[in-house]
Amino acid sequence: MEGNVAAIAAGLAMVWAIGPGIGLCIGFSKAIEARGRNPDASGTIFVPYILGLALTEAIGIYCFVVALILIFAPPA
Amino acid sequence: MPEENAKLIHVALKAERLFSLGPFEVTNSMVGAVVASLLLLAAAWYFTRSSSVVPNRMQSLIELPIELLAGIVASSTSRWRGYVSLVVGLFLMILVANWLGLLPGVGTIGLQGELEGEVVPFVRPAAADLNFTLGLAIITFVVFVWWAIRMHGPIGYLKELAGEPRILAPLMFPIHLISELSRLVSLSMRLFGNVFAGEVLLATMLALTTAAVFVLPLAFFVPAVFLGLELLFGAVQALVFALLTMAYITLAIAENQGDGHGTEKSGQTSDTSEQHHAATPA
Repeated sequence: MEGNVAAIAAGLAMVWAIGPGIGLCIGFSKAIEARGRNPDASGTIFVPYILGLALTEAIGIYCFVVALILIFAPPA
Repeated sequence: MPEENAKLIHVALKAERLFSLGPFEVTNSMVGAVVASLLLLAAAWYFTRSSSVVPNRMQSLIELPIELLAGIVASSTSRWRGYVSLVVGLFLMILVANWLGLLPGVGTIGLQGELEGEVVPFVRPAAADLNFTLGLAIITFVVFVWWAIRMHGPIGYLKELAGEPRILAPLMFPIHLISELSRLVSLSMRLFGNVFAGEVLLATMLALTTAAVFVLPLAFFVPAVFLGLELLFGAVQALVFALLTMAYITLAIAENQGDGHGTEKSGQTSDTSEQHHAATPA
């Protein structure tokens, strides 16, 4: 069976993007919950919410970068 | 067997070279960045040509997002006037560069590449090149290190990287140092990953829906959905880059002044968020 280990490794690297996925959902649900408790605080919540989303999503982007490196510039 | 299947799309991680000016290579993402900058400069010239204190409709439309973002920056620290132009400038630059990548022809119209079926586009979205995002991240890094050194002095900056209980300094100093350096990597990688993945996603959706005749009716609706997604994500990533720059500069200014309660100070200044409209620049 012929194969390409780099392709398998790239696929394995993207499995761990499930972590940021769950983290983003938890963060989003907390923000919506806080908004439901106190609709006037939406403006106060907005900026830290966006920051938290970005920082969490960056971890998923790190997985994606590893996968890209494995596909395009695999260590020989 | 892999040689028989033609690849569905051609993905270029590096920006392709269009021509060379002597030893200097001009890539298609450089062209994209220059086009975005020229657009911003033209818009700036046009909208400030006849600006008035009581704005007409077009001027207030353009001022709306700028005032919103400047309002958010104004509620961060008391020295916001020193960096509000950087934050708003970063936001506008990345926003225009990202949205430019969604226009028809960007990323698709180009020259014939080496391989069969490969197209070297004339214009590539600027943030789809790691060089562009790394350049912006380096600007942000230099600015927030400069603010930290300006507020606390170089020795003070190193002391505050060492952390509060001086006994733990051999442990905390490398941790803080690496976390500050990793901001460079995370800023650039986040923007690059989002825009590049968006490009690949659009190309994949277009290729999938035009691959066979019976899915051709989907070829209008499905890429339109993903174009809308990319519109939203381009704007969000621009906002996130600008807000993270503001957050890093806020942390550099307000960090550990005397006692270890840097976050308490920034918490106090954010209480004035409902008064921020009075503090926006005219």
